[in-house]
Amino acid sequence: MARFSGFGVTFKQMFKPRITGFYPKEKREKPERFHGRHVLNRYEDGMEKCIGCELCAGVCPAKCIYVRGADNSPDSPVSPGERFGFVYEINYLRCIHCDMCVEACPTEAITETKLFEFSFANRADAIYTKEELLVDDEGRAKRQPWELWLGGEDDKTSAWMRATSSSGDADYEGRVNWSGELGFGVREPEQGQSL
Amino acid sequence: MKDEREIVTVTIDGIEMQAPKGELLIRVAQDNGTFVPRFCWHERMKPVGMCRMCLVEVEGVRGMPPACTTTVTDGMVVNTKSETVKKAQDGVLEFLLINHPLDCPVCDRGGECPLQDQTLAFGPGESRYVEEKRHFEKPIPISELVLLDRERCIQCSRCTRFADEIAGDRLIDFGERGGEMQVITYPDDPFTSYFSGNTVQVCPVGALTAKPYRFRARPWDLSAVETSCQTCSVGCRGSLESSSNELVRLLGVDVEPVNHGWLCDKGRFGYEATHAEDRARNPMIRRDGSLVECSWPEALDAAAEGIKRSLDLHGPASIAMVGGSRGTNEDAYLWARLAKGVIGTDNVDAQIGDGLPAEVVLGLPGATIPDLDEAAAIILLGPDLKEELPVLYLRVRRACVDLGVPILDVSAVDHGLSKYASATIRHLPGEQASAAREISAALAPLIDGRSGPIVVVLGRSDVATSAEPTVAAAAIIREIPNTRFLVALRRGNVRGAIDLGLAPGFLPGRVTLDAGAERFVAAWGSAPAEVGLDTAGIFNAASEGRIGALILVGADIVNDFPDRRLVRAGVGGAGFVICINATVTEAAADADVFLPATVWGEKAGTTTNLEGRISRVGRKIAAVGNPMPDFRIASELALRLGTDFDLETVEEIQDEIARVAPAFAEVDAQLLKRARDGVVLPLALHRDELVLEPRRIPVIDFSWEPIKPEGPGEFEVVEFEVVEPVLEADASDEAAAEEESALPVDISNGAGLPDAQLFVWSAQHAAQPTPGRDNYALRLSAGRSLYDNGRTVASTPALRALIPAQTLRVNPSEISRVGVADGESVRVSTARGSLVLSLTGDANVPAGVAVMPFNIGETGVGDLVDVSLVVTDLRLETLR
Repeated sequence: MARFSGFGVTFKQMFKPRITGFYPKEKREKPERFHGRHVLNRYEDGMEKCIGCELCAGVCPAKCIYVRGADNSPDSPVSPGERFGFVYEINYLRCIHCDMCVEACPTEAITETKLFEFSFANRADAIYTKEELLVDDEGRAKRQPWELWLGGEDDKTSAWMRATSSSGDADYEGRVNWSGELGFGVREPEQGQSL
Repeated sequence: MKDEREIVTVTIDGIEMQAPKGELLIRVAQDNGTFVPRFCWHERMKPVGMCRMCLVEVEGVRGMPPACTTTVTDGMVVNTKSETVKKAQDGVLEFLLINHPLDCPVCDRGGECPLQDQTLAFGPGESRYVEEKRHFEKPIPISELVLLDRERCIQCSRCTRFADEIAGDRLIDFGERGGEMQVITYPDDPFTSYFSGNTVQVCPVGALTAKPYRFRARPWDLSAVETSCQTCSVGCRGSLESSSNELVRLLGVDVEPVNHGWLCDKGRFGYEATHAEDRARNPMIRRDGSLVECSWPEALDAAAEGIKRSLDLHGPASIAMVGGSRGTNEDAYLWARLAKGVIGTDNVDAQIGDGLPAEVVLGLPGATIPDLDEAAAIILLGPDLKEELPVLYLRVRRACVDLGVPILDVSAVDHGLSKYASATIRHLPGEQASAAREISAALAPLIDGRSGPIVVVLGRSDVATSAEPTVAAAAIIREIPNTRFLVALRRGNVRGAIDLGLAPGFLPGRVTLDAGAERFVAAWGSAPAEVGLDTAGIFNAASEGRIGALILVGADIVNDFPDRRLVRAGVGGAGFVICINATVTEAAADADVFLPATVWGEKAGTTTNLEGRISRVGRKIAAVGNPMPDFRIASELALRLGTDFDLETVEEIQDEIARVAPAFAEVDAQLLKRARDGVVLPLALHRDELVLEPRRIPVIDFSWEPIKPEGPGEFEVVEFEVVEPVLEADASDEAAAEEESALPVDISNGAGLPDAQLFVWSAQHAAQPTPGRDNYALRLSAGRSLYDNGRTVASTPALRALIPAQTLRVNPSEISRVGVADGESVRVSTARGSLVLSLTGDANVPAGVAVMPFNIGETGVGDLVDVSLVVTDLRLETLR
């Protein structure tokens, strides 16, 4: 009799709705705070936001970021101000997507997309260079040949979470604040967060 | 210096402490573990009380006095942590930050900034300032090396006070008032100080940044090692820092007996030469007339073969070694052992014809740099210290200006310290001996009851005059009672090289061939018996075809030897030339074998400065390519000549030196590791100067200090971290010594080897009369300038631009006598050759003398000097 009771489970499941997803043809909506691969943002005039300050590299617990700063030439500056990041590399064999670089960045230069499907076959592809990380003229992440893109992955890349409330406004005390002047990925301040 | 001040008791934050009366409150607090925040106060400068950060409460005193200008009195009760003090600190910081741009992520100081640290530790935590800040053009260059960001400046006046008080180059000062107050240079007069890099180091914010370091790294990705600078023979202590296997900066470390934390710009920025493009990466041998890269075994075999061939055909005297004063002591010792113990030649000289004979260097009673401070008088008979040994210039200047030590200047022309001299004896170049005879008479009124030794800074003032007159003068000065000598040789480790036997007539440890023969035959197996040739003698012999193998160790002889024609003839005439260097120099291009060597920063070891102080140099980066340290090259060559040194590490070599070289007795690897400020030789005379405790570093608020404490520091808790000494206390030392004596051979003090007497110069010197100058000739004085065509400057992009233009400076009366305009070119001829040079009038140059710096430009002094002559007289002709 015991062998029939096992079939009972099978019969019961046959009439329930299916939960199998057809990944990668269909993708689930990522949570809002999902941490994917990074992008380096630009201002609307095309200037790079990164100033090469190495705070992201300093805070990185996996030591996967390598940055070198250099003097901006006054005639053709890369970023506003004196300094720009002339080398910027992230090693995705080491990155743990903790997002601390994003929090540390003083200029909102580095943010994370929802992209996580990149199957590189060599080290050189795993180490993203500044050219690969920089957003295109539309402010969207550049697609690399080894990344699986099915659309929508770059929709929420610009948003940036501040670790502290916007100063001076008592209403936001203790609340996480988001910004994103490119116009997408921005959300309302979250309630109930204590810092 | 002995402190004889009365001791008083002060209470700071409820803790009683003893201090000498009249000491500054801020220093007393710091020495006893209480940190009072400060920006303008610096240990080596006079207090000004400008930043108001160190305000404290003193019981019974109205208001709040600044701790940096208040002196302690008996029974003083001080509070540095009360609510009132906290409020004052908050206020001061809030005001300082009103105009400070807070561009910390871009700023070079961010991460090691006193303003950041003290704002975090003592500041209000929040800013109430929402208005627009002050704006200036960012950054403006105030010299070739230093950039000024006026927005970040907090007007502490450390830089201007350094330039004025310490360096004596008052070229920067404050201009404007109030919110517009800023550091300015005088119009048309840039901040061309040789010490400008120190202002960057003392700046408590990022207002002053150094061009070579700018944006190269951030403080948290630097790693540091304490080391001694080997650019010149002062041996300043510094913290050498690198990022990603690349040297990025050298910071001065405050060492009481040597550099007080200061560095010259050449030493500070010279690290860039390590990364020069033209560094040799692989060994090379000559094939079909040109140098081609090859493997190490191939090159070493070829080098050993060349030595062996000359040894077999013509005997050991046919082999010569020149150079070796740029490496470490360990390098020098093994080169000496290779040449004298293995090959058996005494034709070895570390000096390149521009120094003094080794007898004078080793045989005179030595002075130390701190002796300058306590001297009855200082006699300057030597090079322009500001140009050749800049930090020694700072020490002599300090002794004179701050401590009132009189200076007697014996020189041919005005130099950097002339304006501080209390008395001056001027002489023609080459007539040092007759000037030295006037010294006793000139000295008497200066000393005027002052006690202490008379310190003589002795050296070759110029390379156009031979060493002979200086030696004669030294013999005369030595007769004056209570004189001690600081022999001002220039090259990094020249003193260590001579101490360790890289000089004709000497064996390692300051002993002559005769005195040390027995000892070194026992230690090495053999030692040369006949005194060999010095550098000039070697080149003469080589040009006559008497040198079968010439070994050039790290020397740029064509640029550094005073007589270029002789060098070229010597290198051309030598049968086989082996060159060990970091770059392929002109002489190296003619070599038969070229062996690439590692340089300062890439190897560990010890160096000896001009006092005879041995200190450790650190290894910070790995060399790119395949260069080897000198001591390994010497070992490999010795192995191929049939002697296995069996010395693998630097420490093993140090222990062997301590065992074998008499002057180095007891100075073994362990002592060198422990001695914080180095070991002055001979140890018997300077044992009480040894400091065996580690440097005391307060844990908090010192992130800008070059030497960083290990382990995490904590805010609020102010305490000193004292690292345990490497060795145990004396009791266990004795136990260890007993244990050692039980061993068959006691290696600790060389017992078991025959004794050798240390060399003392008898000073019996028959001075040769200097030839007279005829009235139509000018006598050449060719000193050096700090920035010259030497490898360090030529390979350092930041310094290369500072090499001065070549010109012959004469008294204006000579210009009118020749009948040309100021700045016009003339033909200059000597017995050796002639050149076309521009002529400049300078009223500071005495009539009859012509001044031209050595080693500047493609052609120069080296083409005019004949080293066989005592002096160089020249004639001027118009080109018209």
